[in-house]
Amino acid sequence: MASLWSQISAILPFSEEQFPLQFTDRVESSVLEMLKRCRRQLYSDTTSASHMLNAQIILDISWERLNTGTWRQVDKEWRRVYSYGCLFKVAALCRGNPSEGEILQAVRTCDMGLLMGAAIMDNILQVIVRILQRETRKSAKDDSEHSQVKRIKIASPHVPVIKEELAVPRIKCPSLESFNTNYLLPLKPVILEGIIDHWPALNKHPWSIEYLRSVAGCRTVPVEVGSRYTDEDWSQTLLTVNEFIDRYILNKDEGKALGYLAQHQLFDQIPELKEDIRLPDYCCLGEGDEDNITVNAWFGPGGTVSPLHQDPQQNFLAQVVGSKYIRLYSPEDTDKLYPHQSQLLHNTSQVEVENPDTERFPEFAKAPYLECMLQPGDVLFIPVRHWHYVRSLQLSFSVSFWWS
Amino acid sequence: MRWFGFGFNAFGQICVRQKLVKGEESGDAVEEVKVINPTELRADKSGCSHIRASWSRRASVHLGEDSCVSLAGFGTSNSSESCDTSTLESRGCKDAFISESHLTLAFPDRIEFWDLQKKEKTPSWSMEIKPQSEGSAVNFPLVPGGYVTSKPPFYCPLSPHLKARSMALGGEHAILLTATGAVYTWGQGSHGQLGHGGLTSEEEPRAVEALWGMPMSSVASGGWHSVCISDGGDLYVWGWNESGQLGLPSRALRKASQEKSSQLTGELHQGVNTSPSKEPQEGEKHEEVFISIQAFPALMDVTPSCEIRTVSCGSRHTAAITTTGDLYTWGWGEYGQLGHQTLISSDEPQRVEFFRLERMRVVDVVCGAWNTFAAVVKEEVASLKNPTESPR
Repeated sequence: MASLWSQISAILPFSEEQFPLQFTDRVESSVLEMLKRCRRQLYSDTTSASHMLNAQIILDISWERLNTGTWRQVDKEWRRVYSYGCLFKVAALCRGNPSEGEILQAVRTCDMGLLMGAAIMDNILQVIVRILQRETRKSAKDDSEHSQVKRIKIASPHVPVIKEELAVPRIKCPSLESFNTNYLLPLKPVILEGIIDHWPALNKHPWSIEYLRSVAGCRTVPVEVGSRYTDEDWSQTLLTVNEFIDRYILNKDEGKALGYLAQHQLFDQIPELKEDIRLPDYCCLGEGDEDNITVNAWFGPGGTVSPLHQDPQQNFLAQVVGSKYIRLYSPEDTDKLYPHQSQLLHNTSQVEVENPDTERFPEFAKAPYLECMLQPGDVLFIPVRHWHYVRSLQLSFSVSFWWS
Repeated sequence: MRWFGFGFNAFGQICVRQKLVKGEESGDAVEEVKVINPTELRADKSGCSHIRASWSRRASVHLGEDSCVSLAGFGTSNSSESCDTSTLESRGCKDAFISESHLTLAFPDRIEFWDLQKKEKTPSWSMEIKPQSEGSAVNFPLVPGGYVTSKPPFYCPLSPHLKARSMALGGEHAILLTATGAVYTWGQGSHGQLGHGGLTSEEEPRAVEALWGMPMSSVASGGWHSVCISDGGDLYVWGWNESGQLGLPSRALRKASQEKSSQLTGELHQGVNTSPSKEPQEGEKHEEVFISIQAFPALMDVTPSCEIRTVSCGSRHTAAITTTGDLYTWGWGEYGQLGHQTLISSDEPQRVEFFRLERMRVVDVVCGAWNTFAAVVKEEVASLKNPTESPR
């Protein structure tokens, strides 16, 4: 096998002249000069500490710009500059004979670029991270025997009894036509059974902790820490999938805090996992094309809660591992659900659904609802703007598809 | 007055070292980019009265008979700092203001805006002002009737009712001091940098109510933080504490220093002193409280015995001078901008010992984005000049 650096340099443009550095004048010429210095070093034969230093300067200056203004206001040019910084840093790390630690740092750097940057050079960071992952797996195989499969303690969660008259209806593999007429057009929630049984995630290589570790263990992902995103002490952090599993799924350091890998477009970041799932055929009833479907991963231990909220798109929530208790309220009853006043949270109810404060929110008890226990293989159709409350009952992995 | 600089020097804005100019590879490149020892700026005949700095450049304002501005750093002819074109065109200029893209010059009768991205022979924009009398020069970014900005429209009017005395522009917010010592802020508030207690933005100047009744004498602002000095010499800080720039306990900093000490012991930056700065303080005993965002002004204890006279902010660090002439710095230090001869960030103010050892009194301090400039006088000279302390 060719050395790591020769594999990476093989996908870089052949020469310095062919390496693109095109930006609008939003990126000042001093920053461009710094980028050019990095590029020159990339094609020079020497190795020195200044490769890393110059890449870090690019990362530091673009990080400051990415944190200026709201995320939406940030110019895409600066997200591209950030990705270039990641690329140069990865090159500096992988030159010569990188240690295992340096390769892992390079993987993390690629992920930072994929998470915060914008695609550059035909998404070169995505290509590089695949090469790097192959390399880490080579060394991981040697010590795989040591990792004993540990049974996860499943504390018996509070499992609500689903009242039959309130249960979300279930239906097996309906035709497009019948789903359209009976559920999509009238915007009625329903659980579709048997429509994801063919997913590799449920049969060929069932998603398990070991499988996720092997495919994505060293990848960095955003994690929500805290019980609910409406809580005061809720925060977001970046962890590798391995760290997340150790800390929040296996609960190795016995912390009390809950961690939730929630609402993350994991499948764009890790294409290997994307191959394990399929877009539901029913999405074609929407108006947007496939590129407009947002696929999010929701991976966490039992006890994670998504407070009652609504989303501006149709949603298929597919349950792959574990089960979740879900409650649904119609948008017609919004006035009984007490949405937050602030603009940031106006799509979220103030009511704790399973423990409502009846004095502060007297109308809440009058709101009719549907509920269900979503099991592996189930797909819940949550119509656009339908309020939903979700609590995981044990280790759970769900995939949501937002479409219009 | 002698000026020293330390911190980010990738463009030679503090001092020019030949290897950097030639783009040569060398083992000591790190030392050239990060000036960790306070280094005297090359003096020229007229002497430098004031400094303004952006990320990649330094503008030195020379007052006196041939007043002018000279530039150092990116895009300047590094070989002879004192006579590039901008110097010629700035003859008679009294103050300067520099951003990454523009240089603003204040003349007695006009303000000129020069686009640094293009090498043009004329200013890209200029405005006339009423000729200023000698004593009341323009106080950038304040100009008569308003203030200048680094991006178009370049000039924003201010209500005359504010009676602005001085002002500072942060990354995306502004802080203003009135003639009566009241403080106003406006702009982006997402990191608490406005000091109104929330994270919302303000379109118009709004008084920082928490400071009411406490007259302030000076204001400064960094990328995402603000500071001001009270008449009594106390320092108030608010905004983002991500790198310890408020001098309050920063979780990110503590985490980073832990990771570093466990990850790479020994092989750290050549020759740089990395001995931890009295790390574990009261921490062990009770759970530490970390501050990420301080949305109200907080009184800061820089040093127990001294008053603060001058303060300046970089994008993520802060520098303050005491009435006794000591320089204290805190916040982001990874480019050497704290002057402690390390690359370590600090969430506690620490005295820059260099000047004390050299028997120099710091009389002015100006932060660039990632570097710091300090003006000093030798202690002996200072006492000689003072007639009441004639040696006898």
